[in-house]
Amino acid sequence: MNIPCKVLLILVVATACTGGESSPARQTLIDSRDTYDPRSLDPALSTDVPTGRAVGYIFDGLVRFTPDAQVVPGLAHTWDISADGMTYTFHLRNGVKFHDGRPFTSRNVINSFQRVLDPATKGGRGWPLFPIAGAQDYAAGRGGNRISGLTAPDDSTVVIRLKEPLTIFPKLLAMPVAHIVPDSVPANFGENPIGTGPWKFVEWRHDDYLKFARNDAYFDTPPKADSLMARIVPEPSTAVAEFESGNVDVLYVPEGETRNWEQTDEKKAMLESAPALRVFYVAINTTRGPLANVKVRQALNYATDSKAILDGIVSGRGSLAAGVIPPSLAGADTTRAGYTRDIAKAKQLLTEAGFANGIDIELWSSQTPPFPRIAQAIQANMREAGIRVTLVQRDASSMREASRAGQTDMALKDWFADYPDAENFLFPLLHTANRGVGGNVSFYSNPQFDRLVDASHREQDEAKRSELYKQADVLAFNDAPMVYLFFYKELYAVQPWIRNFKVPTIFTGQRWTDVEIKRP
Amino acid sequence: MLAFIVRRLLLSIPTLIGVMMVVFLLLYVAPGDPVQDMVGERADAETIARLRKDLNLDEPLPKQFILYAGGVLKGDLGNSYITQRPIIQDIKERFPKTLLLAGSAMLLASILGITIGVLSARNPGGWFDRMGLGLAYLGISFPVYWVGLILILIFAVTLKWLPPSGYGGIEYLVLPALALGSRSIAFLARVTRSSMLEVLGGDFVRTARAKGLRERVVIGRHALRNAMIPIITVLGLDFGYYLTGSILTETIFSWPGIGRYVVNAIARRDLPAINGTVLFLSLVFVLVNLITDLAYAKADPRVAYS
Repeated sequence: MNIPCKVLLILVVATACTGGESSPARQTLIDSRDTYDPRSLDPALSTDVPTGRAVGYIFDGLVRFTPDAQVVPGLAHTWDISADGMTYTFHLRNGVKFHDGRPFTSRNVINSFQRVLDPATKGGRGWPLFPIAGAQDYAAGRGGNRISGLTAPDDSTVVIRLKEPLTIFPKLLAMPVAHIVPDSVPANFGENPIGTGPWKFVEWRHDDYLKFARNDAYFDTPPKADSLMARIVPEPSTAVAEFESGNVDVLYVPEGETRNWEQTDEKKAMLESAPALRVFYVAINTTRGPLANVKVRQALNYATDSKAILDGIVSGRGSLAAGVIPPSLAGADTTRAGYTRDIAKAKQLLTEAGFANGIDIELWSSQTPPFPRIAQAIQANMREAGIRVTLVQRDASSMREASRAGQTDMALKDWFADYPDAENFLFPLLHTANRGVGGNVSFYSNPQFDRLVDASHREQDEAKRSELYKQADVLAFNDAPMVYLFFYKELYAVQPWIRNFKVPTIFTGQRWTDVEIKRP
Repeated sequence: MLAFIVRRLLLSIPTLIGVMMVVFLLLYVAPGDPVQDMVGERADAETIARLRKDLNLDEPLPKQFILYAGGVLKGDLGNSYITQRPIIQDIKERFPKTLLLAGSAMLLASILGITIGVLSARNPGGWFDRMGLGLAYLGISFPVYWVGLILILIFAVTLKWLPPSGYGGIEYLVLPALALGSRSIAFLARVTRSSMLEVLGGDFVRTARAKGLRERVVIGRHALRNAMIPIITVLGLDFGYYLTGSILTETIFSWPGIGRYVVNAIARRDLPAINGTVLFLSLVFVLVNLITDLAYAKADPRVAYS
């Protein structure tokens, strides 16, 4: 056979192998949102988004998040909180079984938490469990062979004593790292996970896809679809092509494509959005040179045209930030006026601070889009106010290390919530206890702010807690330890044949249990 | 020739040790912290310090290197810091896929590139030659990611002949192989053409024609064989390059190969994964170069190994 014939044959065979767009004959739901291979499928190693999502399919926590970020019962059907807010008693469901048939009991909870904290696990993500009395000592190898605050009086009860009151504690338990694994897991558990969740693990082709099958014995309503596939597609343009070919059901619309999708009627009909728990900001290191002066920091805010950046660079996908609490969370004050761009005011503040001739500072950003473009816009904005910004671009890892070590004047960053609560923004980003590696790379330290956040940890009354959040947020806002840019909005495209897919506010909030392919 | 192969393989040992040392040193001086990448956001200093100790990252550089090199000598490339999987297993899973892609791209490139080159050289200045040269310029000028996206747009999204991306049967292989090979097709066509033109002007070609051989035999048996040396050089270099550098193609086409693996490892400062993969790929490069040298002798018996 000569060459042209071969090529022709390949094309003919290939054409025969691929299905058409309008007929999703497949029974499998296909996701395209993962851009890199999960770290593992072991809850104890869930430090990244693809891992967290997959762990959420296979496993359950005592509680879990809904797509709109409410905390609902998981393996625990109810829980009581002692009057002092120190002790949580979780009442577990009976008759729950792991995918291999073994029964779930309170012992699994104790062992799972110990495993996460065990130094030998080398997971590195102990912090969601550190509020438990004795947990941090256990993680450091000091606490003997058990965690003092964890007890199981009987097979269906777990009592957790905290080292100090923490009202948001149940939200921490909904995180993937606190999902429950069976006893005596093998060394390669990360590749062969067994949980209690709505989906059973089937196959993992690294850098290619993950496959799951419905767990018919799921204690809650089992998934409607037979199977679920999470494809790993590193290039956003390719994900769009896969979506347009009908090969995937859900697409995370890339920023650069936003306008195209919003302005084409046929495409617009497929769009679904939800406010993201994600803020874009510039951390201003409040300990470095002129940046220690609050007026200088306010001047940086007045100099920045956040609105132009939001509209011009991320296609208007979001809302302007005046504080760190996303508008959808309790404690957000959507009436607060932000630092609207005002060059004269910026110059005046700089003069008052004694920098009439302007200042020279560095702005660090990673190379991941859209950060370099935002950094360039900020540089141009600030130049007009006499602030001479040198851009420093590094890969994400180097930048993180430098900003945590306090070596950056300003660091352009974004922050995703791990759990839906204002505390997840105020505490890591601005509390004194989290300076450096904890996430506060502004090195902001205000005892009054700390007291408000600490009080919110203890406050059990929802309304009072929101008020504390609001006060803390406005306090920091006036101190301007960051340039407040914008809160992001999630934008998904969902195929017309997909029913009941809700865009999750928190990344683990969509477990595909209600989602199904509509039959004609 | 066996002695030659053995000697070349022995000579590659110092090369590989050198590679290992340079990579180790580079990663040591490069900014970024593997432990901070491991634990993600909201780390605490105590956990970071403990993990650093567990991974021997607090040891002095020479000791770290000796510990690592000791493992390599025993055939153990270590486990990934991030995933905790053995590096060897990761390479075993991904390299064959990269090899398949690179091999297909090279096959496609040699068939198309050499054919275009030979046909162009037969009638320099003719319509085919000019068209071929034009295409070659385009092929060399367009970056591979652009070619990849255009191929996806035409053959997958619009015509729906082939799937846009992923790994599977031959239908998944066609587009990435074409995208990856496009540069080689162009390059080979040009090298083949100029090499052929040089050879076709030689006395022995005139003699061959004078003794009444058919043009096909003159071109195929006499001219092309003599023109092969530069072509083999280009093939060898490109093949090595594809095995190690098909990162963009693998990313565009979601191809689960070793290029993406090593890029992810670098982004997360997964030191054992970077060291292990670079070492492995260096070995591959050494082998490809050796095979190229052996191919010279096959094409031209005058090439001697000493």
